[in-house]
Amino acid sequence: MTPVTIRVSRFDPASGQPARLVPYTVEVHEGARVLHALHAAREQDPSLAYRYCCGSGQCGSCAVKVNGKPALACMTPVGDGDVIEPLDLPVVRDLVVDLVPRIARIAALLPKGGGELPDAATVEALKPLCDCVECGSCVSVCPAVAVTDFAGPTAMRQLERLVLDPRDAGDRVSQADAEGLFTCTSCHACYEACPKDIEIMGKAIERLRAEAHRRGYTFPRHAEIADLVRTTGRSVARITTPLFERVEPVIEPYGPVRGEVAFFVGCMYSMRLPETALDAIEVLRRNGIRVVIPMEQVCCGSPLLRTGQTEDLERLKRINIGAFRPYPVVMTTCAGCGMTLKKNYGDLPFRVMDINEVLTEFGIEPPARLPLKVTYHDPCHLLRGQGISEEPRAFIRGVADLVEMPAYCCGSGGGVKSGKPEEAAALGELRRKAIEETGADQVISSCPFCEFHIQGHTDLPVRNVASLLLDGYRAREGDARPGERKVQ
Amino acid sequence: MVDNGVSTTHVLVIGSGGAGVRAAIEAAEHGPVVLLSKTIAGKGGCTPMAEGGYNAVLREGDSPELHVADTLRGGAYLNDPALVDALVREAPDRVRELVSWGAVFDVGPEGGVAQRPFGGQQFPRTCYAGDRTGHEMMVTLMDRLAATGVTVVHESAAVELLLDDGRCAGAVALDGDGAAGVYLADAVVMATGGGTQVYDISTNSSSGTGDGYALGYRAGAELIDMEMVQFHPTGAIHPYDARGRLVTEAVRGEGGRLLNRLGERFMARYDPERMELSTRDVVARAIATEVLEGRGTERGGVWLDVTHLSARQVEERLPIMLEQFLAFGVDIRTEPMEVAPTAHHIMGGLRITPDCATTLPGLFACGECSGGVHGANRLGGNALAETQVFGRRAGLSAGRSPVREKGVTPGIDRQLGALRRRFDGFRDGEVPPASVVRRLKETMWCGAGIYRDRGQLAGALAGIEVLKHERLLARTDRNLLDCCTAANMLLTAELICRAALLRPECRGAHTRLDPSCELPPDRSPYAHTYLSTAGEGIEEVAR
Ligand SMILES: Cc1cc2nc3c(=O)[nH]c(=O)nc-3n(C[C@H](O)[C@H](O)[C@H](O)COP(=O)(O)OP(=O)(O)OC[C@H]3O[C@@H](n4cnc5c(N)ncnc54)[C@H](O)[C@@H]3O)c2cc1C
Ligand code: SF4
Ligand code: SF4
Ligand code: FES
Repeated sequence: MTPVTIRVSRFDPASGQPARLVPYTVEVHEGARVLHALHAAREQDPSLAYRYCCGSGQCGSCAVKVNGKPALACMTPVGDGDVIEPLDLPVVRDLVVDLVPRIARIAALLPKGGGELPDAATVEALKPLCDCVECGSCVSVCPAVAVTDFAGPTAMRQLERLVLDPRDAGDRVSQADAEGLFTCTSCHACYEACPKDIEIMGKAIERLRAEAHRRGYTFPRHAEIADLVRTTGRSVARITTPLFERVEPVIEPYGPVRGEVAFFVGCMYSMRLPETALDAIEVLRRNGIRVVIPMEQVCCGSPLLRTGQTEDLERLKRINIGAFRPYPVVMTTCAGCGMTLKKNYGDLPFRVMDINEVLTEFGIEPPARLPLKVTYHDPCHLLRGQGISEEPRAFIRGVADLVEMPAYCCGSGGGVKSGKPEEAAALGELRRKAIEETGADQVISSCPFCEFHIQGHTDLPVRNVASLLLDGYRAREGDARPGERKVQ
Repeated sequence: MVDNGVSTTHVLVIGSGGAGVRAAIEAAEHGPVVLLSKTIAGKGGCTPMAEGGYNAVLREGDSPELHVADTLRGGAYLNDPALVDALVREAPDRVRELVSWGAVFDVGPEGGVAQRPFGGQQFPRTCYAGDRTGHEMMVTLMDRLAATGVTVVHESAAVELLLDDGRCAGAVALDGDGAAGVYLADAVVMATGGGTQVYDISTNSSSGTGDGYALGYRAGAELIDMEMVQFHPTGAIHPYDARGRLVTEAVRGEGGRLLNRLGERFMARYDPERMELSTRDVVARAIATEVLEGRGTERGGVWLDVTHLSARQVEERLPIMLEQFLAFGVDIRTEPMEVAPTAHHIMGGLRITPDCATTLPGLFACGECSGGVHGANRLGGNALAETQVFGRRAGLSAGRSPVREKGVTPGIDRQLGALRRRFDGFRDGEVPPASVVRRLKETMWCGAGIYRDRGQLAGALAGIEVLKHERLLARTDRNLLDCCTAANMLLTAELICRAALLRPECRGAHTRLDPSCELPPDRSPYAHTYLSTAGEGIEEVAR
């Protein structure tokens, strides 16, 4: 037996006091799970309330937050110092949350009658969507649930499961639309939280959206964007001189050439925020990396994919793959483009790397340190979409003091900013609060959608990692006024 | 006392596993139904944990006669033939019904519900949904339940049956805050599942505490064959705190091999014909013997190996096993699992007729809390079928019960008073229920395990008697239920030991080391053991 100390959130609704963390030192055997430590803690204090039934990951009763992340207590190894809290859902007592109302929003199959088992292919398509143990983890982390009446990720999972099932008589697409299908910001928090690894966004929500689009549920604003892509190859209208008209197709570095990337610029950086893209190019030049910009490139298709308007996708893919075929490394600076190329394009004749990966792999000249306190906003499509979180932080720490804030969707993704502006604004305001709590001077991110959106919800400058690095370089070289420019 | 008031309904169903929910769905056709569940409905009990499958005769080459023969042989001919007949005849309809309600079973090569071989069966008749069959059934049943008008009371546990004029008239339940509610009904369906949590090493969910046996017995219903406890041959050994976790029989169904420390496929010594797919009692005893005779692993188990199967077969057919073992650091595609027997299923229980009537008027029972279907040993896959066949039958019988006048009669009032005094006693108690439960589990594992004799059983009974005299302590009202549950576990354990002493033979899962038992089971002079507050004994077969 080994002793471990866990801190458990205790809350008694009758006490009128807020929840507090209480330490328990308990003896457990090697390999013990969080649940076993809770059992031992309850022997010390039988008033401790938590749920469990199966003890083997099959019933979904025991989901809690372990060190801030949802997990099944019965399957998660316990570690000394672990902090155990309830899921972010209404708390009944201690670790017990009000799960039943969330489960009630998961639709039931409406039998047509006389239903036979579907064929093998259909069953194989259904099975991955049937693994849900209704633990509530995904609902507890979903930003759309936090600010709208969205039925929740697992409710969408179930609707797609019912759409695929020939035995179901319901009109699930209309139901999905009514229950918030278009509130999902595509942040992937649900996938990260799910103990059964159900990729709800890709496997259910985008498919439901595609079906909803076929049935004419598309928002006018989303349809306009699709039109724009069809006619101009870009999802953002021309409002300033696009990047492509400001640069040469090949940009040589200042010193010897240490490497080369083909730059997939993306609609936001090319059409709306070209200055940021220029900053990124500057940083690459100062680090010996040649930047090639194939001019035929078009929108990656992400705005269409996330809103279910998939007709034009193959064409865009073909053009982009053709444009980039000659180059071994394709660099993205937009987290959304990066995720789309990596996850939705299938097998590619080149390697796709985010700029943070490129700079990490080649290594960078150290910038000057500035007397600056910044916080970092994790773009969902970088953090969860591409698994990149340490790289940008390392660069930031090279220039400024980094104060962390919790990673949370800003609300700009998934077509929500254009389709559900109130929701995007509500999430933006949540970011404002989180930013204020850090006391930072600037907000740094690494995605044009996040940067542009958050700038609308804070008075601090919101800037790209590359722009911050460039400030560091300029300060080292003694050139002027770092960090003055805001995103327009 | 009755903080949650008195509610009345036509049918009260206690338990939300496969049997209880199926009963509620059926009873709802006949009038108002309240479903009481100790857990969030659909999450508790063993049904959602059932991995392997559901037995039903669906294909040519199989027949009801074969299924009956397998079930009786597996049950060492102690089964009640009328119950077996109902099980076998109706299991196919019930699985087809689940399919029509949306269940996603695996599809066989020629279409239709896929079936795989399971231990002790002459035909591959076990229908499955990967290795999450019970979960799929439960999800489907909860969907169906949602379409009825059944009132579901989540996280409220029945602690006592109420009696009126010799009939079961309802139950008292405690909710999560420890507040009591009275539920009066024309008929009550007991569907609380099993009780092998009374053993130190058990596969059961947290609610497998034998509540149904204890409540039924205290109310005067008769129980049969409580000594018949199935030890599943393959429970996980590591990590220690999760010991007993089931390693599904589907692993052997898919071709898994049992090996001892020396690498021998030792089943060749115990059942060369059926090998790993012998019945559970035989395999469990074989493993116990290997370990006792020094051929076990260091941790006291044997190896269960699927590394000769393709990674794909393991991933597709045994995904939950793969996931669970990976979480505990073992990749079963490349390493063997370490396993040992674990207390799994109670074959005995409330005595029922094929219509699920217990010996107490007004009380019906179905699922694992009832006895007689499986005899002395249950075949894998027959319990899930039992939940559906007898769940429906119990719901039907209860639903058809006559409507009566319901109210808190003086008799019921007296019972409520006695209950209040019992609760007050818990609030003034001394010993935390968790400590009593821990000692009970060890007592049962040592005294009433796979191998038992008179001395051990008497010792276990004496141990239980001591524990019964501990004054259970409820520190808050919310711990009243812990005390009631501990008391139910003590009673269930006692019933198991008493029944085990009543049966002087080896039969199925009941292996007595003391009596010599020469007769083959189909020639045994004994039938059911029975226990009730009115008396106990063992029936003899008139030959
Ligand atoms: C791990 C495991 C795997 C299994 N695999 C298989 C298999 O593959 N095939 C097969 O045929 N059988 C299998 N079995 C056996 C089978 O699952 C059970 O026998 C069967 O599911 C029991 O169903 P039930 O409805 O009777 O009870 P359960 O499913 O156990 O449900 C009991 C319900 O009663 C509730 N309850 C308990 N006490 C109270 C109370 N006092 N008040 C209110 N509610 C209460 C519980 O919360 C629960 O909802 C398995 C068992 C286990 C443990
Ligand atoms: S991707 Fe994000 S917004 Fe969409 S359902 Fe999942 S958690 Fe909610
Ligand atoms: S989808 Fe995953 S996270 Fe969400 S309720 Fe189901 S199992 Fe839990
Ligand atoms: S207790 Fe069932 S999933 Fe953890």
